[in-house]
Amino acid sequence: MIDFEHVSKEYKKGGRLALEDINFHVDEGEFVFLLGHSGAGKSTLLKLILRETLPTSGKVTVLGKDVAKLRRHKIPYLRRQMGIIFQDFRLIPSMTVYENVAFAMHVLNVPRKEIRPRVEYILELVHLEDKAKCYPDTLSGGEQQRVAVARALVHNPKLVIADEPTGNIDPELSLEMMQLLERVSKMGITVLVVTHEHELVHRFHQRVVTLSHGRIVSDVPADPVAAAEDDLSLDVAAFDADDASAAKKEVAAV
Amino acid sequence: MMRPSTFFFLTRRGVRNLGKHWAMTIACIASLSVCMTLNIFASLAEVNVGSMVSYLGSQNETVVYLDPECDDATAAQVGEALSAMPGVSGVQYVSKQDVLDTYRGYMQDYSSLWDEFETDNPFKANYRVTLSDLTQMERMSVKMQAIPGVVSVTAPVEMTNIFVEIQKAVTKGGRMIVLVLMVVSIITVGSTIRLSVFARRREIEIMKYVGATNRMVTLPFFVEGLTMGLISGILTAAVSLGCYTYVVNAAGGLGGIWQMLMGRALVPVANVLPTIVVTSLLSGAIVGGVGSMFSIRKHLNV
Repeated sequence: MIDFEHVSKEYKKGGRLALEDINFHVDEGEFVFLLGHSGAGKSTLLKLILRETLPTSGKVTVLGKDVAKLRRHKIPYLRRQMGIIFQDFRLIPSMTVYENVAFAMHVLNVPRKEIRPRVEYILELVHLEDKAKCYPDTLSGGEQQRVAVARALVHNPKLVIADEPTGNIDPELSLEMMQLLERVSKMGITVLVVTHEHELVHRFHQRVVTLSHGRIVSDVPADPVAAAEDDLSLDVAAFDADDASAAKKEVAAV
Repeated sequence: MMRPSTFFFLTRRGVRNLGKHWAMTIACIASLSVCMTLNIFASLAEVNVGSMVSYLGSQNETVVYLDPECDDATAAQVGEALSAMPGVSGVQYVSKQDVLDTYRGYMQDYSSLWDEFETDNPFKANYRVTLSDLTQMERMSVKMQAIPGVVSVTAPVEMTNIFVEIQKAVTKGGRMIVLVLMVVSIITVGSTIRLSVFARRREIEIMKYVGATNRMVTLPFFVEGLTMGLISGILTAAVSLGCYTYVVNAAGGLGGIWQMLMGRALVPVANVLPTIVVTSLLSGAIVGGVGSMFSIRKHLNV
């Protein structure tokens, strides 16, 4: 799904390396936390995955494509297989919630008759069906982030990238957001969450790749047993009947 | 290949954005309309001053005098030869008697003095020739002189050259003003559109992240720019034509030399209407549509 082979990146020739000899691999359906403090190289790594920039050396493969060999006009087609969630939500302010989510499908050239039911369904999943006609600036931070999640998932992406998805929401909603992403991963979608929140990451027993000063300093694999225990406790403690039915819907959608 | 539904969705978005970003829309339409109206005013001034100078110049006629010995048939042949010359817009025959009557008219109180010439008219019959291209006057008078039956040609070459020079200066000056205004317009409108696109660079970035192609991102902005350009074009045409009609009507009520200059020499509204409408709409569409496409280009590299 994602493959980095001896990847280095320097923005200015002779300057500091933003990434240095990065090697890591993410499998299909895997949930990975990319942890690191500010300036660790997380954003550069994301830019490489999104083909916003090219590596100075090494090879980056995303969804089977060598990004360096990808022609500029092919970049949108690579991005259409991804769903991206940003810290600052990045919703189009002149579009309603419905239009923001539908826009991702319009760019995929999906027929109009297929767009409406799919968008309505996905808005229902994130509990925003009654906010469909609202504009982003009338929503709370948590609601805006749910719209961003809906937009990232609406076109059934193979890879979901979340860049500091909890940065602008309160801790309670942060936990909910991560649980939602974990459920997304269980649908078989690869999820890469970039964050600097150690505490939050350690509440989940997923794979954690830690970056520091442009290098990978640790790569801790997921603990499936602990994750399953987490699931069980979460099911009991946090999920109500509605959540359970929502989870069933998600599975059905896939 | 873009689906028709996607095309219409993006086109509709472009039109809707006009209302959503109404402040920018008004700023763009206002600056574009003002610049285009100034351009049209400058062009109209140039065309009309040129027309006035040309009208005054055309009042200077070339007089072709006939040999007093030539018979009526030769006189008629000279008239035909003059009419057949390229660049001649009018030929009027003035007989010896017409000339005598004209002078008699000038001195009505002493009319009897002219009676003596009735039997022995000393004047020469002539043709008064008007030329469509005054710059050719000197060259053509030489040609006229060579027609059999012509004894002499009087052409106000010096006076005509002055008019020609004035006309050239007016045309050159007018074009310079139009050119300067055009450059100013493009810079002003370009800056306004760039500002509008810059304010929405985030939106462009988001579109690119969800996988929109450059064409998809550009289309709503192009539609928006094109619509603003066409609205500006309509406003420009309406204001320019309204003002020009007022000037033409007002000139009709003037007296004396102004009546002669502006009343007769101003280009009629009907003659400039199609040019103004087409030019306004076309330049509005080009500046608005193409301007927004160019402004968006550098934000597409995401």
